[in-house]
Amino acid sequence: MSSSQEKPQLIVDGKRLDGRAFEELRPISIKTNVIRNAAGSAYIEWGTNKILAAVYGPTEALPKHTADPERAVIKCRYMMAPFSSLEDHGRTGPNRRAIEISKVTKEVFENVVLLENFPGTEINIYVEVLQSDGGTRAAGVTAAAVAMASSGIPMSDVPFGVSIGKIGDTLVVDLNKIEDNYSDADMPMVIGPKQGNLLLLQMDGNLTKEEVTSAISLAKKAGEVISKLQSDALKEPYLKTLEKYKNEAPSQQGNKE
Amino acid sequence: MQRIVIPGEKLEDKSLRIEGTIIENGKTYSTLMSSYDDEKKILIPLEGLWYPISGDTIIGRIQEDKFNVYIVDLQAPYRGLIFSKDSNEEFVAGDIIEATVKEMDKTKTVILGRPRRLTGGKLLYVKPSKIPRILGRGNNMIKQLTAKTGTRVTVGMNGIIWIKDGKVDLTTEAINMIQEEAHTNGLTNRVMSLLEMGV
Repeated sequence: MSSSQEKPQLIVDGKRLDGRAFEELRPISIKTNVIRNAAGSAYIEWGTNKILAAVYGPTEALPKHTADPERAVIKCRYMMAPFSSLEDHGRTGPNRRAIEISKVTKEVFENVVLLENFPGTEINIYVEVLQSDGGTRAAGVTAAAVAMASSGIPMSDVPFGVSIGKIGDTLVVDLNKIEDNYSDADMPMVIGPKQGNLLLLQMDGNLTKEEVTSAISLAKKAGEVISKLQSDALKEPYLKTLEKYKNEAPSQQGNKE
Repeated sequence: MQRIVIPGEKLEDKSLRIEGTIIENGKTYSTLMSSYDDEKKILIPLEGLWYPISGDTIIGRIQEDKFNVYIVDLQAPYRGLIFSKDSNEEFVAGDIIEATVKEMDKTKTVILGRPRRLTGGKLLYVKPSKIPRILGRGNNMIKQLTAKTGTRVTVGMNGIIWIKDGKVDLTTEAINMIQEEAHTNGLTNRVMSLLEMGV
């Protein structure tokens, strides 16, 4: 941790460094079906984060000892591109941090994908961070959830991720890189919006019990916006073709019309 | 009224047994990207994987030739098996075959029967969820397609379509059109007019 003298002032005149209000998210845009060979894929731009997520499978689990005869196994690889940030990501291959985030991402999807439908198989999730500016694990899960839903693998929920932090005594939503480095606490969360299940909760720094409770409710509130964006991104390609032929009469011989 | 739903979206406040849904706390939720009809209570998956049912016609590639069994690649989470005793012909690795699903065993291997070699022609890979639309009600769509273009078409439920003879390119174009616009109104008419133009 850096000393307090180096610490920049993160809140000026009631606004954060990039001009956002305390509970304001960065602009998010999501696009589906960006990778042709994947079963499902998504690209997310979350502020200046740029992340690609792709889902492959289910296929036969290899090596064979990793297979579970009762359910599918999920394998996840989160990776930051060497050029993704100012810090050193020079060596290719997973480092300690990437292995940890891969593990927690995998555990999120183990709780929402209906794994028992595909025994003995594996589902591969790849999350590639092309440009990073804080909050990439939350953004990565958000993108991977969209990719998973668009792949046709049955899942009970489309989870979203968001991080809540503390600057001084104020709780703020969606920390960027500078806030992440110098804030007093940082708590990334992944929530299943259907019943508000917490699927991932990590914390760096100190928060009181009350602050944690209000942080979770803040995350759920922010999640309404993110879930809407995920849902719109998933529905958009279908609604576009549906809108195009809206006024045509149903065919006489057609089925399901 | 038809609406597009995402996984986890609530369909009904009561519990209804519909394929592709889960029931939690007495409420019905979708598990797939699908199109749901609120009045008729019909869920049509827009994306989805193939679940083998006995009687399904499939198209696959012989992957391995063991001494009493052929292993078939089905482009699916499951492997296909053909016992040599069920087959009148002999196959080699790489052969494209049409077969019928006999049963699934407990390790989720698909046991196939009545294999037939497919020679020549073209393979087309589509989403398995679009196969019912490509076949049409009572196989109407595919019957009209083959009649208009003079092709021979075999549709594998696992999402592989084999096309031979006649106007292969026109058939491919029509099938791709059905695949992309499966959930829209007036599709049959548009496909027919595409075929008329092509003919």
